[in-house]
Amino acid sequence: MADTSSSTVELDGTADLASVMRDGRRTINYDPPHLNPVPSRQYYFYLMLPAIIILACITIYPFFWLIYMSLHKVDIGGAGDVWNDFKNWTRLTRDSKFQDGWWLLLKYSAMCMFMEVGLGVLLAVILNNSRAEKILVTIFLMPMMMAPVIAGLVWYYLYNGTFGWYHWLLESAGILGETSILGGTSTAMIGIVIVDVWQWTPLITLITLAGLKRVPRDQLEANMVDGAGPVRNFFQISLPNLYPFLLIAILLRFMDNFRFIDAILVLTGGGPANSTKILPTYLFDVSFQFFKLGRGAAIALTLLVVTIILGLILVRVFDSPASKTGQTQAGN
Amino acid sequence: MASVKLSNVWKMYGQTEAVRDLNLTCADGEFLCVLGPSGCGKSSTLRMLAGLEHISAGDIYFGDKRVNDLPPKDRDIAMVFENYALYPHKTVYENIANSLRLRRMDKALIDQKVKKAAAMLEIEPLLDRRPAELSGGQKQRTAIGRAIVREPQLFLFDEPIAHLDAKLRAHMRGELKIMQRDLGTTMIYVTHDQLEALSMADHVAVMHEGVLQQFGTPHEIYSQPVNEWVAGFIGEPPMNFVDCEMVEEGGSLCLTHPHFTQVLTEAQAAIVRAKDPAGQRQVRLGVRPDEIAVLAEALDEGIKARVLVTEPLGGDMLVDLALGDSKLLAKTKPDFAGQRGDECSLTFDRNRWHVFDRASGLAYF
Amino acid sequence: MASSDVVQYRSPARRLVEILTVVFLAVYLVWTVLPLFIMFVSSFKDLLEAFKLPPTGDWAGAWVFFDFTPTVQHYVDLFADNNFGTYLANSIIASLGSALISVVFGAMAAYSLSRIEFRGKRDLFFWIISTRMAPVVAVMVPLYAIFRGAGLVGTLPGLILAYTTFNLPFAIWILKGFFDNVPYAIEEAAMCDGCTRFQAFREILPLVAPGIGAFLVLCVLFAWNDFLFASIIGSGGAKTLPVATKELVQPQNIQWGKIMAAGVVTTAPMMFLGLLIRRYLVTGLTMGAVRE
Repeated sequence: MADTSSSTVELDGTADLASVMRDGRRTINYDPPHLNPVPSRQYYFYLMLPAIIILACITIYPFFWLIYMSLHKVDIGGAGDVWNDFKNWTRLTRDSKFQDGWWLLLKYSAMCMFMEVGLGVLLAVILNNSRAEKILVTIFLMPMMMAPVIAGLVWYYLYNGTFGWYHWLLESAGILGETSILGGTSTAMIGIVIVDVWQWTPLITLITLAGLKRVPRDQLEANMVDGAGPVRNFFQISLPNLYPFLLIAILLRFMDNFRFIDAILVLTGGGPANSTKILPTYLFDVSFQFFKLGRGAAIALTLLVVTIILGLILVRVFDSPASKTGQTQAGN
Repeated sequence: MASVKLSNVWKMYGQTEAVRDLNLTCADGEFLCVLGPSGCGKSSTLRMLAGLEHISAGDIYFGDKRVNDLPPKDRDIAMVFENYALYPHKTVYENIANSLRLRRMDKALIDQKVKKAAAMLEIEPLLDRRPAELSGGQKQRTAIGRAIVREPQLFLFDEPIAHLDAKLRAHMRGELKIMQRDLGTTMIYVTHDQLEALSMADHVAVMHEGVLQQFGTPHEIYSQPVNEWVAGFIGEPPMNFVDCEMVEEGGSLCLTHPHFTQVLTEAQAAIVRAKDPAGQRQVRLGVRPDEIAVLAEALDEGIKARVLVTEPLGGDMLVDLALGDSKLLAKTKPDFAGQRGDECSLTFDRNRWHVFDRASGLAYF
Repeated sequence: MASSDVVQYRSPARRLVEILTVVFLAVYLVWTVLPLFIMFVSSFKDLLEAFKLPPTGDWAGAWVFFDFTPTVQHYVDLFADNNFGTYLANSIIASLGSALISVVFGAMAAYSLSRIEFRGKRDLFFWIISTRMAPVVAVMVPLYAIFRGAGLVGTLPGLILAYTTFNLPFAIWILKGFFDNVPYAIEEAAMCDGCTRFQAFREILPLVAPGIGAFLVLCVLFAWNDFLFASIIGSGGAKTLPVATKELVQPQNIQWGKIMAAGVVTTAPMMFLGLLIRRYLVTGLTMGAVRE
């Protein structure tokens, strides 16, 4: 052992005078006389800077432009923007297409969601018990890789009343008459929903599958010992554990229904008789068909506000511990 | 090689003070353990030594050189991390060689040094594997190899064997101590495990809530704890504490308790009187389980207690005892015959017991 | 522990369920693949063959689908007459350009965000991700006005910048998750080994490289598949494949074989890329919320 005197602790210096015994141990309840200068962390901020600048230029700046535009009569020709006393906004209250647009958007999203979640979860449960899971999932992924506009074109071809194979199938089966599914005001919405379901159900399936893999096996087994069969096991254990995953899936799809209208533009363009003119489609028409950019800006702002609220909810779900671990559910 | 000195070092994270006014020195070539429960500031101390954390206040010296503002690479230290922090994409060989390559050392020399370190740690057959293919013990050896191949002036070990299983840990304690003696490099070793600290270190610094409690040789820490907290923290099973009064009786100092009266030795009485001449004192008696002798029969002169339960441990036996309202734990030979509920008598080892001031917790002896 | 590993017992009901699931999977397989299959096959049919259809109710007549002489004429025409070579180049430049910008700057920002804490970090983060969630049409209204003023409409740099509006926040968000998974201790170990801060960063790059590569591909995929930005911001000088394909649809004389061929040209590379990064797909498509 080394010589004791070579190492000493200065417990008898000035510092020790101020130390106090509490609960049988030494404590210090004074502050250091002076602090060392804190080293710079600017290094990190410089790394962040380019991305922040680019993002600011392409998001914040346009956002204020959007507000500015919504308050003016915007003229692309260069005649200058004219203040128009909130006319863009007041018109919205009388604009039935705007209000219908919201309604149709909600209806469209709800229909897509209902079918995709139902089908997607069923598919996930079946795939989870299937030996061919890997290869089947890979095949089912394929529609998602397709540009939505191409998917729209392909389905437009399939739906066609005179030479579309799917129309022929539906007509031969007696489900549809002469008019194509996109031609009738009552069926067109179903037509575009089917395309969305075809393309995006696999996403719900993928997310659900990832969730099912995380259902704690010990919970399932404990429930079986308690007397549950596979069906009860699913509803009592798997499903509660899946909720956070489903919530993420639903919110993601919901926002994508707001974000993308590529397929609808090709399939119906909002018709017939505006029966599929969901809000983003209407916004597209107003802004880029009629070039009423001021009014478009007002509509765009309403759409943005709603998506930001949805986004806030989504981020909260992302952050919640439930999305990382399954909560333990009682057996019976 | 260098000595290390921490002078009035503080570490603050926002409002939280992780290390408070720490003064510590470690001589050249010494093995210093920083021991304390989790959250005591021992890891922060080590990270400040490594240069991974900014020193909020105070100074750190390696030899005579103040190193506060030096980045890790210029401090000539090597560190072994709690979770080993091996490069997952590099082989064991590359992991060990990395620091030498960064110094642009000659290839043949690197090879020679890596092989030597690997031989010393007995991981030669593993050199081509990646960390994911290694067991915990092998990863830990690789991490140590990465540190020793550098031949730094100071080793910093952050709970390097905490995640190994008990058997391997016991084995590694011996190996690490041998390694440090062979290399002769100054080593600062952080742990929460007193067994590691007591068995390996030349000196132990005991910390709690950012404050240094005691600094001394393992023997001093164990046999002369400076306060009640250290006394309770060191030793397994922990020390028994019994509240007593200390009174003058016929020229000697006595500890009185409803169930016993014990007389201090002359030397102990002299210490107490010198420190604190007042008459009556509220104190706490501390006796380690192996400093209590238990007899299975109730003798007149002994302290009478009742057996609550016995716990045979093979080579020893632990006896849980009730002394009035307080419970005591004693360590005896395995042939102790007492049964649950039996009366028995105890004797405390007067030369090894400790007495603390009940108000401050400071030890008289 | 996969829930599918839980022991299962045989029973007649179970047998029935097994049969039903096989049937369901078969139907779903057909439902998924059939549109792709029809697209692929039709792209080899000439003008008239693409319109051939049996009479309603004539189930046996369905074989006429296969009654054609395969021709690659449409593919040849696309590149010879319809300038698809240019559009293909535009698509590649625009999507790769925006993906590179996004991933390089995104990785830098993501690394910083992963390694330091500061006040307002959550708000900054929400701002970043909300730009990604914004409806494309809504974003495009002001972007169009600004880009028009700056002369960026109809140019490839304009399109690259437009794609960056959704790719950059995506890259930051996802890559932060990757850097979060690399223990900081490895960088610290590197610094103790003698690395500077920057060398330590380089030391961990190989650990995130596969992820960064995968998300470069995913950024390419998102940009490639975009239609709205390309049709408005890119209209004129920077036409991409999806827009060019859409423009083949004329009021008169629709050449379905050619459109399907264009669809195959646009889709096939993305399906290949999608399979390539299959492992990262769920993470990418759920913005990092779900990991497989």
